[in-house]
Amino acid sequence: MGIYPPPLENLIRQLTRLPGIGQKSAARIALYILGRDRELADELAKSLVEVKDRIRFCSTCYNLTDEDPCGVCADETRANGILCVVEGPGDQLALEESGCFRGRYHVLHGALSPLDGVGPEDLKIPGLLRRLGREKIHEVILASNPTAEGEATASYLARILGDKGVKVTRIALGVPMGGDLKYMDRMTLEHALNCRIPVRT
Amino acid sequence: MRSVISPAIILRIREFGESDLLVSFFAEDAGRLKGVAKGARRSRRRFPNCLDLFCLSRMEYVDRGKGDMLFLDSCRLINPFAGLRSDFSALSLGSYMVELTEILFPVGVGDRRMFALLRRAFEALDQGERGDRLRVIFEGRAMSLGGYGIGLECCSRCGRPYEGRGRAVFLRTRGAIGCLRCAKENAMTPSLDPPAMGALALIQSGDWKALRRMGLGPEVVSQIREVLKLHIAYRLGEKLKTTRYLE
Ligand SMILES: [Zn+2]
Ligand SMILES: [Zn+2]
Repeated sequence: MGIYPPPLENLIRQLTRLPGIGQKSAARIALYILGRDRELADELAKSLVEVKDRIRFCSTCYNLTDEDPCGVCADETRANGILCVVEGPGDQLALEESGCFRGRYHVLHGALSPLDGVGPEDLKIPGLLRRLGREKIHEVILASNPTAEGEATASYLARILGDKGVKVTRIALGVPMGGDLKYMDRMTLEHALNCRIPVRT
Repeated sequence: MRSVISPAIILRIREFGESDLLVSFFAEDAGRLKGVAKGARRSRRRFPNCLDLFCLSRMEYVDRGKGDMLFLDSCRLINPFAGLRSDFSALSLGSYMVELTEILFPVGVGDRRMFALLRRAFEALDQGERGDRLRVIFEGRAMSLGGYGIGLECCSRCGRPYEGRGRAVFLRTRGAIGCLRCAKENAMTPSLDPPAMGALALIQSGDWKALRRMGLGPEVVSQIREVLKLHIAYRLGEKLKTTRYLE
């Protein structure tokens, strides 16, 4: 038995199921909700249900959307033939917010990770292969993260895309903006040197 | 609160809260440990790209008395084993090695020899080695270090010493060999010929020099492979999650 009345205990227990929320934070959030107007609780409950009911995968790019096809896939002003492959919706959002990519996306929903039980069959790879011919793709940009899993995913995709007649590229790795060479590891420095670009003089 | 600095191999990473990472690692002296790297997803100074899966790093940590959860102070990359992340088969074999290590070594059980084995195996993966040869070397040695070495000295039924001649059968319920007088060969009791017996003994004792001199051919590897498959399934009683990515 907890120290709070059962309905409050239940809310705290549900909140602790969320990532990064421990007992203390859950109790704080629950007490906050309890202390506000009923409107907050109503809106919160409504939006939780709505998000489960209305948000689904775009049948083309597998991004999260409330309309199918999603806004990016439906946008006729975007460049066709170039696909940027990312691990998750958050990565797609970051690229989109930067405003520097005007092609199409494909969301894998994960990266290969044997320790977490994620293999090729768990990623949205068949959908990617179907798009190559249908959308006359000439370049696939592999933008999975430069982690062990992301690198293995990129090399796996590069291998299966190898004979599909498309140009396959990988986002560059190197010293980040505001970075300091003193704090960089050997591998990052090696990548940065290998991926150096000519400077206009 | 004593701060410890030790080479360590990163086994698992989890995002935690807004900016922290939960890191499971195998330290050279202290064995498998878990710690939280506060602000690791923001601070590139204390943790400059050194907290990625399977990296060998120089870890600085403090025990703040929070159960088995340590506090990671800083970290420096020693070797990222770049070849290990270059393809899925290497990542899968590396993951399998990590999973086997986790089953054999509970948190806090130190063994320098296990650390050395992980390091050597990851170096081999980095240099492009794949497949059953590396797998059986790792399995045989790890099982032996974890207390599950296969008894090879004598027949586990009649006690007759094995003198390096003829085949011996593996009896999984005994975790040891039997002589051909006491047991018959079949799919559940596969046999080992003298070279395979010799190679398995060297693998279990970690005598890499002698193993290199002897060489480890595909025929020997496949015999040892069959035996270890049954042995691991019987002793560890569970199918390792990562094995399905190895075939
Ligand atoms: Zn879409
Ligand atoms: Zn016997």
